[in-house]
Amino acid sequence: MAEQKQVVFTIDGQQVATSPGTLVIEAAKKQGIEVPSFCYHPGLSLQAACRMCLVEVEKMPKLQTACTLVATDGMVVKTDTPTVHKARKDMIEFLLSNHPLDCPVCDKGGECELQDMTFRYGLDKSRFAEEKLHHPEEKWSPLVYYDAPRCILCFRCVRVCDEGMDVKALGVGSRGINSVILPNRPGELACEECGACIDICPVGALTSGTYRYHTRPWEMTYVPSPCAHCSNGCKTTLGVRNNEILRANNRDRSGVNGEFLCGKGRFGFDFTAHAERIRQPLIRRNGTLQPATWEEALEEIARRLKQVRDAHGPASLGVIGSNHTTNEENYLLNRFARVTLGTNNLDHHRTADYAGLAALLGPQAKGSLATMADVYNADAVLLIANDVTQQNPLVAWQIRTAVRHRNARLYVLNGRPSKIHRKAKLLAEVPKGAERDALRWLATEQGQLDAKTIESLVHLKAALEAEKDVVVLFGAEINGAALRDLLSLAARFGGKTKFMALGDYANSRGAADMGLLPDRLPGYAPLSDAVERARFGKLWGGEVPAAPGLTARAMMEAAVAGKLKALYVVGANPVKTFGLTAPGRIAGLDLLVVHDLFLTETAERADVVLPAASSYEKDGTLTNTAGEVQLTHRSVDPQGPRSDFDLIRILSHQLGILGLGSAIRHRTPEAAFDEIRQHVAGYALSHAQLLGGGAEVSAAACKSVDPSHDVPPGAVFSSHDSLFTSGTMGRYCSRLNSTNEAKDTPWSSSPSTQSWWYR
Amino acid sequence: MSENRTMQLPPLLEAKFTEIIARYPVKRSALIPMMLYAQDQFGFLSDELLGEIAGRLDLNITQVAETLEYYSMLRRKPAGRYHVQVCTNISCMLRGGKEIYDHVEKRLGIGHKQVSPNGTFSLEEVECMGACTGAPAMQVNYDFYENLDPAKVDAILEQLQQGSRPKPVPVISGALHERHPAEVPVISKRFGIPDSRTIGVYLQHEGYQALEKALKQMTPDQIIDEVKKSNLRGRGGAGFPAGMKWSFVPKDINKPKYVLANGDESEPGTSKDRPLMEMDPHQLIEGMVIAGRAIGSHQGYVYIRGEYRYVIDLVEAAIAEAYAKGYLGKNILGSGFDFDLAAHTGAGAYECGEESALMESLEGKRGYPRIKPPFPAVVGLYGCPTIINNIETLSTVPAIIRQGGEWYAGLGTPRNGGTRLYSISGHVNRPGIYELPLGFPLRRLIEDVAGGVRGGKKLKAVIPGGSSCPMLSADDSVAKIGSMLGSGGTVVIDEDTCMVDVARRIMHFYAHESCGWCIPCREGTTWLRKLLDRFHAGGGTPEDIPMIDELAKNILGRTFCPLGDAAAMPTISIVNKWRHEFEEHLQGKCAYKPAEMISGAR
Ligand SMILES: Cc1cc2nc3c(=O)[nH]c(=O)nc-3n(C[C@H](O)[C@H](O)[C@H](O)COP(=O)(O)O)c2cc1C
Ligand code: SF4
Ligand code: SF4
Ligand code: SF4
Ligand code: FES
Repeated sequence: MAEQKQVVFTIDGQQVATSPGTLVIEAAKKQGIEVPSFCYHPGLSLQAACRMCLVEVEKMPKLQTACTLVATDGMVVKTDTPTVHKARKDMIEFLLSNHPLDCPVCDKGGECELQDMTFRYGLDKSRFAEEKLHHPEEKWSPLVYYDAPRCILCFRCVRVCDEGMDVKALGVGSRGINSVILPNRPGELACEECGACIDICPVGALTSGTYRYHTRPWEMTYVPSPCAHCSNGCKTTLGVRNNEILRANNRDRSGVNGEFLCGKGRFGFDFTAHAERIRQPLIRRNGTLQPATWEEALEEIARRLKQVRDAHGPASLGVIGSNHTTNEENYLLNRFARVTLGTNNLDHHRTADYAGLAALLGPQAKGSLATMADVYNADAVLLIANDVTQQNPLVAWQIRTAVRHRNARLYVLNGRPSKIHRKAKLLAEVPKGAERDALRWLATEQGQLDAKTIESLVHLKAALEAEKDVVVLFGAEINGAALRDLLSLAARFGGKTKFMALGDYANSRGAADMGLLPDRLPGYAPLSDAVERARFGKLWGGEVPAAPGLTARAMMEAAVAGKLKALYVVGANPVKTFGLTAPGRIAGLDLLVVHDLFLTETAERADVVLPAASSYEKDGTLTNTAGEVQLTHRSVDPQGPRSDFDLIRILSHQLGILGLGSAIRHRTPEAAFDEIRQHVAGYALSHAQLLGGGAEVSAAACKSVDPSHDVPPGAVFSSHDSLFTSGTMGRYCSRLNSTNEAKDTPWSSSPSTQSWWYR
Repeated sequence: MSENRTMQLPPLLEAKFTEIIARYPVKRSALIPMMLYAQDQFGFLSDELLGEIAGRLDLNITQVAETLEYYSMLRRKPAGRYHVQVCTNISCMLRGGKEIYDHVEKRLGIGHKQVSPNGTFSLEEVECMGACTGAPAMQVNYDFYENLDPAKVDAILEQLQQGSRPKPVPVISGALHERHPAEVPVISKRFGIPDSRTIGVYLQHEGYQALEKALKQMTPDQIIDEVKKSNLRGRGGAGFPAGMKWSFVPKDINKPKYVLANGDESEPGTSKDRPLMEMDPHQLIEGMVIAGRAIGSHQGYVYIRGEYRYVIDLVEAAIAEAYAKGYLGKNILGSGFDFDLAAHTGAGAYECGEESALMESLEGKRGYPRIKPPFPAVVGLYGCPTIINNIETLSTVPAIIRQGGEWYAGLGTPRNGGTRLYSISGHVNRPGIYELPLGFPLRRLIEDVAGGVRGGKKLKAVIPGGSSCPMLSADDSVAKIGSMLGSGGTVVIDEDTCMVDVARRIMHFYAHESCGWCIPCREGTTWLRKLLDRFHAGGGTPEDIPMIDELAKNILGRTFCPLGDAAAMPTISIVNKWRHEFEEHLQGKCAYKPAEMISGAR
C-alpha cells in the first residue's frame, strides 16, 4: 500500500503526526493523554452521546467530542483546561443525579468506569436534592440481569449485540429520562446468551447471573486460560476465590479473541464444580463401580493391561484419546500407546481433517494456515460446510468484524442454515450434505447436481476466481478426497490462499497435531516412514510398531466383536460418539479403563475409572483450530481428580515395574512441552512468549501426499455442537443449560424461534 | 418473509398498508405510519398487531418495540373512544389551558392518561399541538377545538357523549382575518380564497407557473442561483440560507437524492406551517418539485407531525390532485423530469423536527439525531444526499421563481430576504398568523398588528421566536427589536404571569421531549424540571436560584443537538431577568398567582 500522508496536529502542546481519519480520542490515547469516555468503544459505531470526552479546539466556539472529532492538519486540541475540567465534572454530576450510588452492593464496585471517572474527574459532593427515578431490577434470563437505575445509557450493549454479535436482541425503550434498555421479549431475552453486553457495560447495570452478589472483584485471583469448550480457543480470565471459579470474562481484551467470548466461554465453567464430578477412582467389583484408592486402581489397571497384552498380544489393545486433554498429555499418551503398550490402535474423535490438510500442504503448511487474526484481516473469506455461528463462534465473530470494519467479502458454500449467511456476499446453498459433491463440481465440473445448485456454483466459482488472498474455512465434511478437491479449486485463486480446518473442541487440533492417530506420529509424521518411527522410538525408549492401527470407530467395532480385548479411553465418550446402544459392559472387552470428569456412557461401562482434572484445573498447552498454542493454568484444585498427565505418567511407572516400557521421566508439563518443541514438526515455539500470555502459532506439517493416506470415510465427523452444547461436558454446564435457548434451540425446526433467529 | 401475513385486517387498513409500504425504497420507513394507522383502527397496538407489522416489514420485535416506545402517540394499551388531549404548553397556559385541563379532569372524573370506566373517554395533558393562535386548544382524537372556555368544553364533551361529532375548526384559528395594512402577503396570498387548497383554485391564482418556468426555462443551477439571490433563509429555526444549502448537494453522485419538507412544527408557540398546509398545499408541492429539479432529486417526502392528521389528509389529497394533473410523477409538464412525493406522518416527538432525527424517524427508527458532519446534503435520508427545509421555506420557492430572487430579497432586510409568517399568541388582543416583511419591529407586531396586550395589561416578557429563544423583557424588546425570529412563533406574556411558572412549564416540555440520547440534556432537563417544580410549589432554597442558572449553563453548548440549548436559553434568561420573582417565591408568595402546583405534561 502506498504511504499515506500523515496529518500533523497539536494536542496539549505536543505535535502529533497521525494517519488521516484518526479520531482525536485515539490519537490522544497513543500520546498517553486520557480523554475520558463512556459511550465510545473502539470498533463499535460512534455515538457522541455521553459528552464525557469534550475537548477544546482552537477556532471552534463550542467544546467538541473527541470521540467523533477527526484530527486534521493544524488542528490545536486542548484536553487540560479549566473549561474541559469543568465540563467533565458537570457531566459526572448529571450522570450521578439519577444514579442509585449503591456501590457497596453493586457487582461492578471496584471495576466500574463510572466510579473511576468520578474518582478522577468528578465532584466530591452531590447537589441533587430531587427524587431519583425508581425501576425494579429485571431478570432477563438466568444469565443476564438488568438494573435500569444504574444504566448510564451509553448504548454499548445495544451496539455490541447488534454490530458485534449480529443478534440485535437489545434496543432502547421509552424516551428521555425514562429511557431504558429493552430486551427483545417482554422482560426477557431470547438470544445467544453470549454475555458480551454484560462485559461491555461500564457500570453495574447489566450483571451476570452466575456472578452477581457472589464476591467483590478484588477478592478474586485471576487466571488466564483458553476456554475449555470449542476449538476456537478464546482466552478467558477466570476469577477464582476460595478454590472456586466465580466468573470468566475477557475484559482486558487480550488473547486471540480480543473482547469476544461466547456463552460457553463466559458461563460454561461451572461443570468443574458439578455435583456429579467423580472425585475418586472407581473399580468394578461384583458388577458395580465402587470407590477405590489410587493405589488399588493403578495397580489393577497395570496388572490387567499386562495380562491382556500377554494373553492376546499388543494388537488387542486400543487407546482412544481426547479432544480436551493438553498437548503434553496427548503426546505422552501417544508414547504410552505406541511404545509402552506397543500398539498403533490409537485415535480420537476426529472433528476436522487436520491431518489431510497438513499432508496436502506439506512443507508449505507454514504460512498457508490461517490464524484467527488472518480471518479478521482477510479481504475475502470462503466458508464451506460449517455453521460457524453455532460451531465456531470466534471464527464467526472474526468474519462479522471483518465484514463490518473492513468490508471483507464472505462467500459461503453450505448445506445447512447459519446466521452467518446474512453477511455473505454470495451464498451457494446446496442440498444438505452435498457440500462434498459441490466441491467436486467446483474443482472438476463433474458430478450429479441439480440445475439450481449448479447455477449457484457457477456464480460462486466466477466470483472466487476473481478474488485474491482468500482465507478458506471448512468444516468436518470436507475431508479426504473432498479436501483434495478444495485444494485444487483454491489453486486457481489469485494471491496467497490460507486455510483453516474447523474442528469441534478445545484441543481437537492438538490431538491431531500430537499424533493421536492410527497412522501418524506427532507432527503428522507418517507411521509408514521408518526413519520417523526410529526417531520417536529412540526418544521414547522403545520401538514404534510399523503396522497402522485401527481408527476409533474400528476399535469400538472390534471391541464389540471381541477382537479388541482392552480399551484405554482418556477424556472421551466413544460409546456415545460412535453410537453404541447396547446396555451394560461392552461385550468383547476384558478391560475398559476410562479417565474422565463424569460418569459418562463410556465410564459407566468401565472396569476402572480414574477421576480426571479439566483443563481449568491443570497446566499445559492447548492448540486451537487455527494452530494457535496457548497455556492453560491450574486455576483451582479439583480435590480428588488428577491431571491425565499425572495419570499416564504414574501408570507408566507401574507398567515399567511389570516390565512394560520404560517409565516416563517428565515430571511437569513444561518438561514434556520442551520435548515437543524439539521433536514435533511445527511446534518449535517460544515458551517465553506463551508465558507472557500470548498465543504462538504452530504449523504441524508433513511430507507425504499419498492419496492412500486419505482418512477412511466416516472417520472425520462433527458433533454439530451449538452455542448451548459442548459434547458430553456441555451436559454438566448447568447455568448454560438453564437458559430457555438451551431448551428451545433456534436451529430446531420450531418456526417460532426460527423466525426471530434468522431474521 | 414479507408474505408473512397471518392477521385478517379490515380492507381499508390493508389497502393503506400496501400503499404506505410502496412509498419507500426501504420497507422499515413504513413502520411508524403503519403503527399509527393500525392504532387508529384498533385503538391500541396489540402484540399480535405489532407482530403482524414486524412480519410485513421484515423487522424483529426489538426494532418495532423500541421505535414504538419512543413516540408519544403510540400506545400498547387502549385509550378511550374519544381521546381528549388538552394542551397546557406556554401559549395555551397563558390563556387558561391548565384550567381547561382541570375542568375536563373534573367533568370526566379521570386523570392524565386514564380511561373512563366505560371506555368512552380518555384524557391526556399534552404538549404544544400547533394551535397556539387558537389557544387554549384541545384535540379529540384528531379533531382540533380551539379558543376554548369551560362552557365550550362542556358542549363538546356533551355532544361526544351523545355520540355525535362536534364540528372541529376547519383551519387554524387566527389565520383568517382582515389583512393588517403592514402585511405583505406572498405565501399567505391565497389564504381565505374559497377552496384555495384545491388544484383548480390554485391554478387560477398563478399556481404551477413557477414550476413551468423552472422546468422549461431554467437550468438547475439557475434555480439555485435565484434562490440564493432571494436571500431566503430557513424558516425552521436555524435560519440557514436556503440556496446555499441546496448548493451543497453533490452533483455527480450515483445515488438517489431526496427533498424533505419539515412539517413537524412542534416548537411551542409556533403554528404557521399548519395554515400553509391547510390552505395552500399545492404551493408547498410546487416548491418541492422545483427544489427536486434544482438538486436532481426525484423523490420527496413531507414529514408532518402525527397530531396534524387532518392536515396530512389534505396534503395527501393535494398530492393526488397534482399527480392526476401531471405536476407530479413521470415526465412532469413534458420536461422529462420525474418527481414523486408522499406525505409521512410523525407520531408525537418534538425532537423529530431536528433534521437528522427526522430522517431517522422517516427511516422508521427512534428519533435520535445523527452525528454531524456529514451533513444531510451529503449523507441524509437512507445515506443519500438530501435537502431538508421547513414547510414555509419550501412554500416560498414558487413566488421566488415566479417573481425573481431580487424582488423577493427586496421585501426584507439585507441579511434576510422576503417576508415570513409570524404566529403571535399569548396575552394579545388579536392572536393570529400574519405575513410581514423581515425586520418588522417586534413592538409594532405586538402593539399594532396583534392589537396590543390583552385587557390593557402591561407587557412583561416576549418569547420572540418559539420557546427555544432567550426570553425578552419589556425593556429588551424595545432595544433588540429585529432579527430574533427563530421559528416565527411569538408569545406575549403580560404582567400578571408568574415567570417561575413559565420557566417551570417550559422545562416540563423539554424534559418530556428530550430524546434521551445525551447526558446533559437527558439528565439536566429532568433535574431542572424537578427543581423548578419544587421551587414553584414553595420548596425552594436560596441556593436553588444560582443553581438553576448553573445547571442550565452546564447544558448549554454541550449537548448533542440544539434541543439542550433550547431548554437552557429561556431558563437562563428567565432566572436572570426575573430573579426577583424567584426570590419572592422564597418568601412563600407568588405575586401574580397563587403558588399552585401545575403538573405540566407528563
Ligand atoms: C429540537 C429541534 C426541533 C426542531 N423542530 C423543527 C420543526 O418542527 N420544523 C422545522 O422546520 N425545523 C425544525 N428544526 C430545525 C431543523 O433541524 C432544520 O434546521 C430545519 O428543518 C431546516 O429547514 P430550514 O432551513 O428551511 O429552516 C428543529 C430543530 C431542533 C434542534
Ligand atoms: S447476551 Fe449476547 S446475544 Fe444476548 S443480549 Fe447480550 S450481547 Fe446480545
Ligand atoms: S446497560 Fe450498561 S452498556 Fe447498556 S446502555 Fe446501560 S450502562 Fe451502557
Ligand atoms: S468461541 Fe469457543 S473457545 Fe471461544 S468462548 Fe466460545 S466456546 Fe469458548
Ligand atoms: S465518548 Fe465521546 S461522547 Fe461519549
